[in-house]
Amino acid sequence: MHNSNRGGAVDTDGAAVITVDSLAKEYRVYDKPEGLLASVTGLFHRTSRLVEALRGVSLTVGRGEFVALLGPNGAGKTTFLKLLSGIITPSRGTAHVLGHVPWERADDFRRRFALVMGQRNQLWWDLPAAESFRLHKEIYRIEPARFERTRDELVDLLGVRKLMLQPVRELSLGERMKLELVAALLHEPEVLFLDEPTIGLDVVAQHTIHGFLKAVQAERRVTVVLTTHYMKDVAALCERVVVITHGSILHDGPLSEIVDRFTTHKIVTLDLDATPSPGQMERFGFPCEIRGPRVTLRIDRTRIADVLPEILRSESVRDVSVEDVPLEEIVATLFRAGAAPPMAEATA
Amino acid sequence: MVLTMQRYVSIFLTFARACLVRDMTFRANFLLECVTSLGWMSMNLAFYLLIFTFTSEIGRNTGWSKEPFFAFVATGLIINSIVQALFMPSAEELTEMVRTGGLDAVLVQPLDAQFMLSMHRIDFSSFANGLVGVGLLGWAVSRMDHVPSLVAWLLYPLLILCGVVILYSLIIMLAAATIFLGRNQSLYDFWFYLTNFSRYPAEIYSGPWGGPLRMLCTFVIPILLVVNVPARAIAMPLSGEAWGLIAATLIAASASLVISRLVFQAALAKYRSASS
Repeated sequence: MHNSNRGGAVDTDGAAVITVDSLAKEYRVYDKPEGLLASVTGLFHRTSRLVEALRGVSLTVGRGEFVALLGPNGAGKTTFLKLLSGIITPSRGTAHVLGHVPWERADDFRRRFALVMGQRNQLWWDLPAAESFRLHKEIYRIEPARFERTRDELVDLLGVRKLMLQPVRELSLGERMKLELVAALLHEPEVLFLDEPTIGLDVVAQHTIHGFLKAVQAERRVTVVLTTHYMKDVAALCERVVVITHGSILHDGPLSEIVDRFTTHKIVTLDLDATPSPGQMERFGFPCEIRGPRVTLRIDRTRIADVLPEILRSESVRDVSVEDVPLEEIVATLFRAGAAPPMAEATA
Repeated sequence: MVLTMQRYVSIFLTFARACLVRDMTFRANFLLECVTSLGWMSMNLAFYLLIFTFTSEIGRNTGWSKEPFFAFVATGLIINSIVQALFMPSAEELTEMVRTGGLDAVLVQPLDAQFMLSMHRIDFSSFANGLVGVGLLGWAVSRMDHVPSLVAWLLYPLLILCGVVILYSLIIMLAAATIFLGRNQSLYDFWFYLTNFSRYPAEIYSGPWGGPLRMLCTFVIPILLVVNVPARAIAMPLSGEAWGLIAATLIAASASLVISRLVFQAALAKYRSASS
């Protein structure tokens, strides 16, 4: 599927940093049948499938944007980041990042971006992070004074100065991820690709990283593309959200638009004086939960302005709150409503 | 060009420094590796000494009597220790990097991927064998009837370098196979089988099977040139045949390097990465 939705691109500094047109990636995967006999047969005759990891995706990202890629597991988010960072080559389509074709792997391009993968350690495991930073300085040809200034700024911002001299294998996941971020930003990249940077982290570490990324992005005008499964990351950091399912873009636009576009209800929570009788609240909306005098109703967005005054008139209400459907719920619905399954063809 | 070389030397020294720091962190492991390596080498030397209690020469009229043969063994030790120290640890790690997707992090760095992947791990304990090799070479040369000429001494390090380049190219091609296949855990075994041929004088490969094998391992996979040519240059007079082999070694080293580079580049273009 070719997705031509580019309306979400906000060219904040008047320049497109990432342009992607009809980008597709297919893999041939070989089936491994179960059992010894089938395995032996498989030595001589294998069946394969063509998996479409990405199906003609198009989008544009402006300088200084913070874009979230959302999608279920296997949707193609990480494949997309790997294509944009030049790790793999596409089957079809074109992409330009900072004016370069990523998979040509020009040094000038690779000096200007960074990739952080939450599930992979990129620092030297047995050595303190300071050693990895020193190597980074050599690889990226960072001037000594600039290197020290940037490193000090970053470690202070994340509060990890003391951890720099401790072997990486002795650090917690959260501490390690903070140092991974420092390493990635030492050469002051213009584009930052983050693949699930907060995966497995506790809420305190998540919060610290959110604050850090916000500060870095605001101060340095870094263009950030983030993949995540945590809606807290998205809500805290990203104005623009691209939802990918089965290798295609399902939605590309501001976060608030997802709520407007994909929800038809609001969640109204009421604290009544007494427990309502059965069926008493159903005339206002769908009762999601009734726990004593506390009632949670799902009410059509178009009716909310009419229904709410009616509730306040006819019921003894001590407290009321009106909220959007939780983002997680909206996104889960979006994922379920995704495109066709990824299998394209099967060959023997 | 000079700046690029300077930068790569600087990065290599940073790798070396980091590896040394790591080795010193695990001192017992480092010493154990040295002892194991030296033990294995001592057993081999004892085995060769045992052989020379039964014979005075390897093969008939080959010139590989005891002292020249030990110069041969020393040359092999020096070349292998350089390869084992500088390239083998990285090549072995590459298998795991391809399987787990760790190669991704290398490909995004503004650095030649082949350089990074073949030289980022240095095993300092392997240099122990090389140092013993240098000592053994001194001992063997001082006891040989033949005194190596100045030209031979000048050629020797160059031919050692050629031997290292040929072995390095083989490692790179085996590593490229890892990228093509997604997994190649037999890399080290295959390497061992191949380099086994280089550990003995080429003259032992004769007769109806040995002759073709010698041709194959000289001109197709030039493994027989690796130790034989530098060892012969130092242990025997530089005859017309020796000059021919020296020329063949220079050509083989250059060709191996170019071919391995092309194979590695082709492999990287086919890299699929691993799921996260």
